[in-house]
Amino acid sequence: MNYIIIGGGIAGITAAKAVRRRDAQAEITMISAEKTCPYYRPLIPLLIEKGDADVTYAEDPISEYKINLLQDRVVRVALQERDVVLASGKRPGFDKLLIATGSRPVIPGIEGISGPGIYTLRTVDDALRINAAVQGVKKAAVIGGGFVGIKAALALIRRGIEVIIIEQLGQILSRRLDARGAEIVSEALARRGIKIMTGSPVSRITHDSGRITVRLESGSTTEAGLVVVAAGVRPDIEAFRDSGIKTGRGILVGETLETNVPGIYAAGDVVEFRDLLTGRPCVSGLWSNAEEMGRIAGSNMAGDRIKFEGFLPVMNAADIAGIPLVSAGIIEPVEEGHETVTDDRPGRYRRLVFRGDRLEGALFIGDVRNAGIYVNLIKNRIPLGGLKEKAASGDLQYVHFIKTPQPGRLAV
Amino acid sequence: MKQIFVRPDRCMACKGCETACAVQHSADKTLFSAVLQSPPPMKRLFVEAAEGIRMPVICRHCEDAPCLRACISGCLYRDDHGFVRRRKERCIGCWTCIMLCPFGVITRDREKHIAVKCDRCHRLDVPACVNACPTRALVMAEPEEVAADRRQKAVRAESGG
Ligand SMILES: Cc1cc2nc3c(=O)[nH]c(=O)nc-3n(C[C@H](O)[C@H](O)[C@H](O)COP(=O)(O)OP(=O)(O)OC[C@H]3O[C@@H](n4cnc5c(N)ncnc54)[C@H](O)[C@@H]3O)c2cc1C
Repeated sequence: MNYIIIGGGIAGITAAKAVRRRDAQAEITMISAEKTCPYYRPLIPLLIEKGDADVTYAEDPISEYKINLLQDRVVRVALQERDVVLASGKRPGFDKLLIATGSRPVIPGIEGISGPGIYTLRTVDDALRINAAVQGVKKAAVIGGGFVGIKAALALIRRGIEVIIIEQLGQILSRRLDARGAEIVSEALARRGIKIMTGSPVSRITHDSGRITVRLESGSTTEAGLVVVAAGVRPDIEAFRDSGIKTGRGILVGETLETNVPGIYAAGDVVEFRDLLTGRPCVSGLWSNAEEMGRIAGSNMAGDRIKFEGFLPVMNAADIAGIPLVSAGIIEPVEEGHETVTDDRPGRYRRLVFRGDRLEGALFIGDVRNAGIYVNLIKNRIPLGGLKEKAASGDLQYVHFIKTPQPGRLAV
Repeated sequence: MKQIFVRPDRCMACKGCETACAVQHSADKTLFSAVLQSPPPMKRLFVEAAEGIRMPVICRHCEDAPCLRACISGCLYRDDHGFVRRRKERCIGCWTCIMLCPFGVITRDREKHIAVKCDRCHRLDVPACVNACPTRALVMAEPEEVAADRRQKAVRAESGG
């Protein structure tokens, strides 16, 4: 059996491992547009601070799982011929194909947004470019107050330059934090010396011999020697648009992660599938979801029929400027029918969002102890029954799920 | 391979297991110096109580471990014994493992800014917690023994014994 995996991110690597575990004879070819492959993408901010930080795997899965790795780019899939057309002109054929091309940064349609001194942060190369560009720069502007923007800002401030984050919405980390949560995190960033401007989109960027001026719709301007555009990501479906594989915002898949074309699967950031809580189509953008999809798609390509139920588009853990936080599910409900409980104490903020007998959202800031118990309830849509009050109090522990033990019985 | 099993009906919540765990993970591995260590050494298991039940909650080293699978920095790995362990120098303190552990047994080392979890006392034959338990609420057993024990109990229950 010939398997081709497009993309060597966490979805592609996990899928390749799953295929290999089930099929010792499989020919597994991975095509990666990136030269560094595989690596831990979330670690690339470290490269801004230190160009030689190690972001690669401790044990190389390419040799361990006997994967043929090709550094090339897929430009097209030919369904009739059942092969992929590569930038180099090669056309390897496949029996089973996985699309795991991840996502790429969104570049908003703003005048002057490309050009020297303007970067995105998605790949090792991006991070190394920023690392090299910091030299001699006094001030950087980050457009976008999401996690990637904030991580870029924190890395840049450690290089000893001034940093400002520009967020068009009223708060940073929208959808992941409520207003109070954003306030706490913003204060922590401010303590690290990062400026934050919220509430006005960028209208125009002008370049004047290396000096960049970012103009906001509100009329204010910021000058910077370096700009990082971190305005979100979108699935990388360029190579598949007119292939006959169905796409929406991402590659559309069914419950086994197979596309409309038999034998062709998709996994990771590139997928558009249903939100576990709302049932609505969405994209993920998260490592853990990509890992899970990779494992399921790989297993199914090799003959399993594992069903994927969907994912939570918000399921983040982070440590921002010394503040630990976990955010999962629906933090700011837009629909009716949710109850919200908040608990605001010095050094610890919590917000829990319930809908009937279920927990649908949890935000833990400052103290993330037992956050996993809550996230598990959301992810597995576990009815709370008699535990709702306990859950709302924030003191839920694993022991609350154990039924009174029978004498003498060994429990696990 | 023998695993740690918990028998909640025997647990007196004396927390001997917690102390033994912290001592085992202290610099000198003695109670005396562990008490003086600053910051104090951290335990990796937690005695919890609810109505009608007390028990130590331990890391299962899950076969399909959510912490390990989702680790974004390559810190967590499965060792040759099947235990989920840390490559400490790789932990960036992102807390993804804490977010995904359904047992709540991973915590933060605030000082070192890394995640802390059970390493199953991989250098010891019998883990410190099991060794310390005075009522044998924590025991080492083969999973098959436990299954047999359960069957036996079920039969006894059905036959009214
Ligand atoms: C700085 C940063 C920090 C992050 N931190 C977190 C975090 O803390 N937690 C979290 O959950 N997520 C985080 N993420 C998001 C996470 O990295 C992604 O969700 C994850 O990498 C998705 O994995 P993937 O395998 O689907 O795609 P990707 O990792 O994007 O990999 C896809 C690969 O496919 C290649 N490719 C694309 N098109 C082609 C083609 N036509 N031919 C060949 N190859 C192709 C790409 O070059 C890329 O190498 C972070 C992301 C960044 C950038």
